[in-house]
Amino acid sequence: MHHGDIAGTTVQGPSPLGEHLRTPALRSAMLVQQEALHAAREFLRDHGFVELLPPLMGPVTDPGARGAKPIDVDYYGHPYKLMTSAYLYKQVSLRGFERLFFIAPNVRIEPPETATTGRHLVEFHQIDVEIAGASREEAMETASGLLKHVVTRVCERVPGVLRDLGREPGFFAELLASPFGVLTHAEAVARLRDQGHPQSPDAEIDWVGERTLSEQTARPFFITDYPKGSRGFYDRENAHEPGTLRNFDLIAHGGYGELVSGSERESDYATMIARMRESAENPAKYDWYLRNVKDGIPFGSGFGMGVERLVRFLTGLDAVWKVSAYPKLPGVVAP
Amino acid sequence: MTALRAAGFPEREVRARARRGAAEAFPAADAYGTELFGGAPETAGDELDRTRIVPPVFMPRRLEKLIELGREPMPDDVDLSTEIGGLRSALPVYLSAFGSTRAGSGDLSVAASRQAARLGIPMVIGENMVPVHGYRRTGAPSPLLARIRAYAEAGDGGTGGIVVQQSTEDADSEVWNLVYSDPASQELLHSGRLGFELKIGQGAKPGLGGMTVLDAEEAARAARAFAVQDVFGADAGRYLRSATPGTFTEEIVRQQVRFMRNNYPRARVWVKLPPGRDVAAAARTAWRAGADAVTVDGAEGGTGWAPRAFLDQVGLPLAECLRRIGEPEGCLLASGRMWEGTRVVRALALGARAAGLGRAALLAVDEDPGHGLVRLAECLAAEVRLIVSALGKYDVAALSAEDVWRPDAPERVPGRVPETIGERP
Repeated sequence: MHHGDIAGTTVQGPSPLGEHLRTPALRSAMLVQQEALHAAREFLRDHGFVELLPPLMGPVTDPGARGAKPIDVDYYGHPYKLMTSAYLYKQVSLRGFERLFFIAPNVRIEPPETATTGRHLVEFHQIDVEIAGASREEAMETASGLLKHVVTRVCERVPGVLRDLGREPGFFAELLASPFGVLTHAEAVARLRDQGHPQSPDAEIDWVGERTLSEQTARPFFITDYPKGSRGFYDRENAHEPGTLRNFDLIAHGGYGELVSGSERESDYATMIARMRESAENPAKYDWYLRNVKDGIPFGSGFGMGVERLVRFLTGLDAVWKVSAYPKLPGVVAP
Repeated sequence: MTALRAAGFPEREVRARARRGAAEAFPAADAYGTELFGGAPETAGDELDRTRIVPPVFMPRRLEKLIELGREPMPDDVDLSTEIGGLRSALPVYLSAFGSTRAGSGDLSVAASRQAARLGIPMVIGENMVPVHGYRRTGAPSPLLARIRAYAEAGDGGTGGIVVQQSTEDADSEVWNLVYSDPASQELLHSGRLGFELKIGQGAKPGLGGMTVLDAEEAARAARAFAVQDVFGADAGRYLRSATPGTFTEEIVRQQVRFMRNNYPRARVWVKLPPGRDVAAAARTAWRAGADAVTVDGAEGGTGWAPRAFLDQVGLPLAECLRRIGEPEGCLLASGRMWEGTRVVRALALGARAAGLGRAALLAVDEDPGHGLVRLAECLAAEVRLIVSALGKYDVAALSAEDVWRPDAPERVPGRVPETIGERP
């Protein structure tokens, strides 16, 4: 079914839910997703991680979502939010768990314009990983190891499903054969500008820019060192290069774009308060979290890997709604 | 007309303009031939009002216009359209934020929105609307949505635009996220007519946050998000609600502007400054971080409620703010006691791209909710055309410091006194 004019472009959206659930492509995608989640748990457990089940709501939620709005809920008369991501809980959990992960549902009222990216859903899931004592580089190592393991296992366990979807094993050959490259944000900006794309040097790589870079490579790569102002207050600022953050995105090849976002975490109380102000936040509303920061959260790093984006990449389907059983496109009210 | 009053403001004149429009730019027609006119030697008012508009004798730009038109140019040939903080505007004025006071968030503000849209000028919607009044609610639409809708319905879809402020308390309510992700805002976004304004402060009470007076029921509701104090005595049944002013440093301003550009890539980014002593550094920081417009609100400004100590005693006058900023690095907007053409022209000559109408707009719609603001603006536009053409210019963007004389800071005219002689004794 077509959804009229979203963000100035006609977006091909899902059929009514009953029909969507019966499509063969969705069935194949769910088989791939099941193997991907199984492989992710396998990898993380083998590396000493403990799986926790994430909270669904709280007095505040992760603010680091560009232009998206959390859903308000009435919790015994208190205005609570559904989790846009359980990041705050994940970091605080380092107090009791040195290596932990969630497979977490998230909900974000995304700006309708993101319906055209093929990568945004209002309801989605993340494999949320947090590691005490780890540097950014160790978190990047974990993220690439996780992706390689998932790709390997999915190719081994459901080769026929991938073939039916038109996904050739050769697509993953370079991913499995060599380590992922690393570009700094400044290098990514320069590369895009050289190609005539007007990428802002102090903002996120925009959707078009990300897609462009993703299409020009044969294996995933990292973008590191995003500028302050493009990310939330918890990505740690580089003490040696003020203005840049100790963070990273993992960008898939083939035009599939960002799969993972992560960073070294800020855990210093005073720095965090100043960073909250820099991102237009009111520290008072983070009261419970800041009390934990004040008491001392272990230094660490972590990341979130988008489940639907991962499955879209594995299956080669062109939009995340095709790999969600119950898709809700930005700007479209769906059951 | 309601009980709205604006002591300390030329209320009578504004109301007259709201009734009679451009006719008020001139003395009454029946006085012609029976009364003698001529300026008083001293003009009352602040430094900006004392600054005189000084047309030259030689007018090379008028010659250019004469050649372009093939006839002598007239005031109607002055182009008043301009670009204000990334938005196209039919006039070098915009509607300032009214704040969440009772005067500024009721029917009057909806009437003002509709008329601003008809005029094709941008409109700023003030802070604290959502924490105080909500966004979506059952029954009548919230004041914020009502204003957005009124503007969208009355506009031509091309000129003007809506700029929504967010304060520290608004950040809790995520006003920008609400508006940016709302399907109701998409038409504005697609036509490039939605902006967000980071409110760092305001003219009427620099260093303080927004203040309103609430009854007991409203106060109980507001107490969750704001400081609510019983300053009027136990029997008054009225309470003072204060918003926090928010904490800003150079780095916080720089990063907040970048954060706005990053998170709302299709919205314009405006920054509103109080008349602080470091206003020039703050404006520069905002422009260099990528702000589309910086508004400086002189200490004369404000529609809102403020402590008496702040009304006359605190903050730099607009003229001094403009002097400190000097040649602006980006789009500069000025507000504070704006209601007629000469003050607007002076502000433009001293660096501003446009002037904000606050109290004058509220009084005008109070006088006539259907047409008051349109008539006030028509009168203002007529005056600006007369003055700009008298200066031998035909585009408001061409106004510059040469067009005014500041008696409080007289400039030496170059060449009049040979440099080797130095200053006269």
